[in-house]
Amino acid sequence: MSRMKFEISSLNLHYGTTQALKDVKIDLPEKTVTAFIGPSGCGKSTFLRCLNRMNDFIPRCRVEGRVLLDETDIYAPQTDVIELRRRVGMVFQKPNPFPSSIYDNVAYGPRLHGTTGRAALDQIVRQSLEGAALWDEVRDKLNSPAMSLSGGQQQRLCIARAIAVQPEVLLMDEPTSALDPMSTARIEELVRELKTKYTVIIVTHNMQQAARISDLTAFFLLGEMVETGPTQEIFTSPADRRTEDYITGRFG
Amino acid sequence: MTELNVRKTQDEALDRIREQLLKLGNRAQDAIRKAVWALEKQDEALSKEVLDGDDVLDSLASCIEEGCLLFTARYQPVAQDLRTISALNRMAIDLERIGDLGVSIAKITRFFFGKTLIKPLIDIPRMAEIVEEMIDGCMRAFINRDVEEARRVCAMDDTLDDLDRQIFNELLLLMIENPRVIEQATQLVLVSRALERAGDHATNLAEKTIYMVTGKHVNASDFRRKREG
Repeated sequence: MSRMKFEISSLNLHYGTTQALKDVKIDLPEKTVTAFIGPSGCGKSTFLRCLNRMNDFIPRCRVEGRVLLDETDIYAPQTDVIELRRRVGMVFQKPNPFPSSIYDNVAYGPRLHGTTGRAALDQIVRQSLEGAALWDEVRDKLNSPAMSLSGGQQQRLCIARAIAVQPEVLLMDEPTSALDPMSTARIEELVRELKTKYTVIIVTHNMQQAARISDLTAFFLLGEMVETGPTQEIFTSPADRRTEDYITGRFG
Repeated sequence: MTELNVRKTQDEALDRIREQLLKLGNRAQDAIRKAVWALEKQDEALSKEVLDGDDVLDSLASCIEEGCLLFTARYQPVAQDLRTISALNRMAIDLERIGDLGVSIAKITRFFFGKTLIKPLIDIPRMAEIVEEMIDGCMRAFINRDVEEARRVCAMDDTLDDLDRQIFNELLLLMIENPRVIEQATQLVLVSRALERAGDHATNLAEKTIYMVTGKHVNASDFRRKREG
């Protein structure tokens, strides 16, 4: 097993008086794909958002516990949250490109982080679009509006936008749930390639997708992390009865 | 309606395949029992029944295979469902082979019609009974998810192997004493060997059942007498 990218322990999260995560402990190895599965409302997306402090935006949300990224606590007061989110990028359920050109979507992050030279930006845009397996489809229309792309292309554009700032971790929250089968297959193939460079953490409701693309799977239920292990084991002989019942469709 | 059972259709589909497997198990037992009876009683009609029944056995096995494929395509099973489908698929193959061995015995039986047997048949019918018991045990273990029962089936294979060896030695002696019995004795050795192989398939059924229940791959020899040397 490779080095741990994230080490999380005793993580509790409350939305007001409601506890959404209970004493979660999990380590996420570097350059692997980890899938979070579980029924709606089980806390998996909440947990994903803890990893780059996206929950900071939610009023009355309180986080306790330790979330170590490369052995440094990201909830420590001295954490530069902007830098954290550069290192830990995110792709959402519905493609959400900015209402600007394809080029500007990808160049947005690097510009924000101080890259201004045209040549340097051109190179980043190209590399990111190549990395997201979109370059060949858009190379001749980089100045077209991002909204003119298909849903699957838009999602890959969002991945390109996420990797343009050279992150170390990619968080994906149900990245294919709004896509057709072919676009889904492209994203899945892309995830397999992305893991050679990045640590990928993906939330999915599609069991088969988790089985196909992840190395590790973690099952969440009612705010608890019930079971984690190699995906192959989780999907052939899970240790916990609740995992078994969930993945075979007996509840959830 | 109180609560919607989201597994209803899926569970029914699995049950249908399970029922087919039990039917196939019965058919395989029949083939072995009837073939050995036909040999013992020199019953030509019974032997023909076994030969004719092979098509039914084959088509049941194909039905199970198809059922497993369809189930996989429709429900993309995981965990216990996946192990059950895998067990059903592989058990159907073993049962179909046991049926084929019954057919082989029925074919050999034809050689004996109108001839006096060189010795009374005692151990061969005993072997057939054991094979039947083993299949019975496997089907029970499969339905009740009973790992202990499956282990007992594996252990029964020892008796079958002992009888096979004993039969071979006896027939060998008879052949040495009287070369005129060689033809019949050789056919009986083949019958004994077919039953011994049927037992091996039955231990496969037990292994698959244990995998289905526990998720652990086991080898039948783990539950059998340790071999010397």
